[in-house]
This record gives sequence, structure tokens and C-alpha cells, in this order.
Amino acid sequence: MNSRFHSDKNIWSLLKRNVSKGQLMGYVLSNALGLTVVLTGMMFYLDSSHSSDKNDSFFSKDYVVVSKKVNGVGFSPVSFGKDEIDRLEQQPWVKRTGRFTSSRFAVNGAVDIGGRGLSTYMFFESVPDDFFDIKPRDWKFDPAERFVPIILCKDYMALYNFGFAAPQGLPQISEELACAIPIKLRVSGNNMMSETFDAAIVGFSSRLNTIAVPQDFMDWANERYAPGAETNPSRLIVEIDRLAAADMSKYLDKENMEIGGDMSGDGNISKFLSTASAVVTANGIIICALAIFILVLSIFLLLQKSRQKLHHLMLLGYTPAEVGAYYERLVVTANTIVTLAATTATLLLRQTWETPLKEIGLGEASVIPMLACSMLYLLAVTAVNIRIIRHHMTLIWNNG
Amino acid sequence: MIHSIELRHLLPIVFKGMEDSERIRTSQIWEVPSFVFAKGCRICIHAESGCGKSSLLSFIYGNRSDYSGKILFNGKDTKKFRVQQWCDVRTKSIALLPQEMRLFPELTVMQNIRLKNDITGHKSEEEILELLERMGIKDKKEEAAGRLSIGQQQRAALVRAVCQPFDFIFLDEPVSHLDEKNNRIAAKIIEEEADMQSAGIVSTSVGNNLLLHGSKYIML
Repeated sequence: MNSRFHSDKNIWSLLKRNVSKGQLMGYVLSNALGLTVVLTGMMFYLDSSHSSDKNDSFFSKDYVVVSKKVNGVGFSPVSFGKDEIDRLEQQPWVKRTGRFTSSRFAVNGAVDIGGRGLSTYMFFESVPDDFFDIKPRDWKFDPAERFVPIILCKDYMALYNFGFAAPQGLPQISEELACAIPIKLRVSGNNMMSETFDAAIVGFSSRLNTIAVPQDFMDWANERYAPGAETNPSRLIVEIDRLAAADMSKYLDKENMEIGGDMSGDGNISKFLSTASAVVTANGIIICALAIFILVLSIFLLLQKSRQKLHHLMLLGYTPAEVGAYYERLVVTANTIVTLAATTATLLLRQTWETPLKEIGLGEASVIPMLACSMLYLLAVTAVNIRIIRHHMTLIWNNG
Repeated sequence: MIHSIELRHLLPIVFKGMEDSERIRTSQIWEVPSFVFAKGCRICIHAESGCGKSSLLSFIYGNRSDYSGKILFNGKDTKKFRVQQWCDVRTKSIALLPQEMRLFPELTVMQNIRLKNDITGHKSEEEILELLERMGIKDKKEEAAGRLSIGQQQRAALVRAVCQPFDFIFLDEPVSHLDEKNNRIAAKIIEEEADMQSAGIVSTSVGNNLLLHGSKYIML
């Protein structure tokens, strides 16, 4: 054992003379850089396509709300006729449409904040449940329970907290707190006594610019308080195909329609982020490929330079596997350093975008795919390197 | 353990077509139906330059295979040997002192010798130093091999060659750069090492013979 140790030292002191530190450093640096770019691009892609705030992902990014433009002052409500909806549904960029149903009854909501009662007239809208990506736990209505869950537009919360509460001497409240406040609804319809319901906010959406209730409540209540008064929808939610959406705005202009809120923008940002990270990743892959090319070239050069030494060692009785092991150890070490450095750099770089992405409701994706990718890289590149080394050792054994 | 090395119709590929030439016909090895090196033999192969001495030793050592005919160790064809078998042969059965010595010039004399001794574990540090002393190069043990004279390198390579157990030792012009005194010392050391293991000694020469007792001289 002891003598093996000596021979290890002797052989390595012989072989390392041909190892170019510059080449090796060049490989490690360029490959660490390339791999960092790949992993960073990948992590960024994962983060930017992963929604961190569950309340915010009621609508997927590929939904838009379409309404008709209101011109001047109009007393007859602008709404979509059946033929207009049919035509819209035939557009190539439309996957499916859902109708907003408005309440056809009067609603009064009352809350008790900090000992002060507050009541207001309200309105509700609903869209079919399958236009929601997820549903809050209580997103259902049962006439026997007389409880109505509500999803509120985030902007309304902001309006209350920053515009209304302070000057009125009312407390500002958080979303969590708002969800805990019991609401009393008084609903009255044509020729009916008003009825009361318990209600509560169960979620917030920054994309759905309305006060939303479950479709089954809306259908039940419209039928009960305003029977037979079927009206056309004034807003449509449209699932769109981004790839075919190039002439979407042209069509909407022509039809005197418009897209509500910032929904199209959200889609664009997401699309932009995905494209940006794809470009970054592609660049990283190119850098990595070049770096791997450098390493393979360096190995060839190194083994070529050491060819005679290696052959002489084999003539002394060392097996090709024994002498090759020194180079295998070298590439395993180099590749491990590269992978560790790139993974660490990626995790550090991630901190720079974590907060901004979180602010727009993205991020907090799992790091496991990224780690798996870097491990896969380590194993694959090392396997290729070792194969090249072993192949070369066999050539040297055979040809001297 | 190798008891016999048999050469059957052995001929380097480069000599193909020259079978009828004077040189091949008079050779006692090339194209001979069967030539045997037996364990314990003392043979000195004489030849002029370019007759294929070094090639012969390379063929036997498994370093080259550009020959026709057969080389058999204990009756087994060496062309079928695998890598591990050759490595075993080179560390346990056959020692070789090549003409070009193949020392690593950047390593010291001791490092060069240890490279061999470490895989065989055959000699102790003291035994190696004693051999260097007898060869008169003990004071050069920490000197880079490349800085020694050819004669000193030859002696260092010889010490390295005996740092392994062997059934045969092949020496390619082992004393070409040694004076008579050092030739006798080298011959004595090789004989002692071979006798201890009842091994065969096969040396080649173009004129300056290893001064062994009772050598059989043959012409290549």
C-alpha cells in the first residue's frame, strides 16, 4: 500500500508536467461561465413561468376580458349579441369564450369595521367555473347554507386602504383580515321582500376587475329575484391562443371592442420573460458547447504530449487503466468544480430577481429541475471525457 | 511462471520477401521452424545493426506485433494475450533493458527506479541503494536522469530492470557504453539476480558483449 502511494506521487509528478494549467483554468472558467448562464436561464425561465401567489392565478395568462367600447353617454347597456359572440368564437386566436353574468338584482353589503358599521350598494358578476385555474376552498353556493363566497379585485382593496380608509378615519386592513370580516348581504328583487345572506371574501385577484361570485349563486339569484329577465353579456372572458393572436387587436378595433385592464400586458410580460430566458439559455448552451470542445481538445493535446511517457509507463507494467486514472481524476475534479461553481453562482444570481418577480406574482419555482440539470451535465460530460481518455489509452497501448 | 519462450517461423514484416537472402538463411532465429529460450539459459545474440535485434525483443515483450510466425510462452500464443496478461508478464516474468533505456529524463534516478519497484515491490530501499553503490552511481541517486552520462543512464536502467521478479531477462546492448570494469560489475549483478530465480539471461550485442560465464553465442 505504502509503495503504491509512492508510485502515485511519482507518476503524477511525471504526468503533471504536461498538464497546461492555463488550458485547464481556461476550461474551468469558460465552462463555469457557460453552465452558469445555462442554469441561470433555466432557473429564470422556471421562476418566470411559475406563479408564486395562488390568489393571483385565477386566470391563466392566456385569458383576456373583452368588452365593447362605450361612446358618449349610453342608457341602453352595451352588450354582445349572439351573432357577435359567434363571429368572435370563429377567430383563429379564440380558443373558447365565457360570458360574464351580471346580477339583475339589487345588493346591499354591510360590514362592521372597528365598531363602525359600513354599508354600500354593490354589484356582482360571475364567469363559468372552468375559466378559473383553481378554486378557493369555499367556492360554491348552497341555497340551504345561505353563504356567498366573494372574490374581490385587488385594486378595490388598494382603493379602500389608500384612498378611502384614511380620510374617513377608518382602519387600513390587510387581505388576510379582509377575508376574516363577515359581510351581511341584503338582496332584493322585483316585487320581493329583501333577503339576507352571510358572505365573506375568499380570495383576491389582481386580474379580474370585478366582484365575483360563484356562477351557481348568480344563476340561482337571478332566477329568484329577476325571473325571465335574460340579458346579453356585457363582457366576455376569452381564452386566446398567443401564437395566433397577432391580428387580435386589429379585429377588436374593427368590431369596436376592447381588452379590459392589463390582462394582455401580463401575457406579454410572461411571453417576454420566457423568450428572454430562452435566448439566455441558448447562449449558455453555446458557451458550454465551446468550453466542452476546449476540454476535449485539451485532453487530446495533453494525451498526445504525454503519449511517449504513457507508453513507457505501460512498458514498465502499468495498465492503461492505471495510467488513465490520473487523467480521469483530473477531469472529474475539474468538472465537479465547474458544476459546483455554476450551481452556486446560479443560486446567488437568483436572489437578484427573486424579489422583483415575487412582486408581480411570479417566482418561487422549485430548484430541483435546475439541480438535476447540473448533475446530469456533470455525469454526461464526465462520462464523455472518461470515454475519450480510455479510448486514447487503448490507442497508446496498441500503437505505442 | 514462464518455462520456455518458443519462436516459430518468426520474421519481422519488413523482412517479408527477403526469406531467401543470405542474412535470413544464415540466421539462427528468423524463419527457424522452432527456436526455444529455456528458463535458465545464457544466450548472447550477435548481430549487425539493422538485423532486427531490438525488434525481436519488442516482439517478445509484447510491444510490437508486426511480425509473421508465432511467439509462444509455455506453448501459448502471445498474440492472443490481453492487456492484463501482458502487464503481469512485464512485472512478474520478463525483465527488459531496452537499448534506448526509456528512463524519464525529468525524474531522478531513484524516482525512475521506484516507478518500477513500486508496482513489483521486489526490492527494499536498502537493496536498491546497494545496487546503485555497486554500479558506482549511488551519489547520482537524486540527480535527474536526463543529466547523467549515457553510461551512467545505462547503469541506472540496469538497476531498474532487475527491480522485479523474472523468469527471463532480456538486455538490449546492455554494456554498449560501459568500460570493462563496469561491464564485469553489471554482468555479476545480472548473474546473481538471475541465479537467485533460476532465470534465463538473453543479451544482444554488436560487439561489446556482456561478460557472462558460459554464454551461448548465436547469430541473428
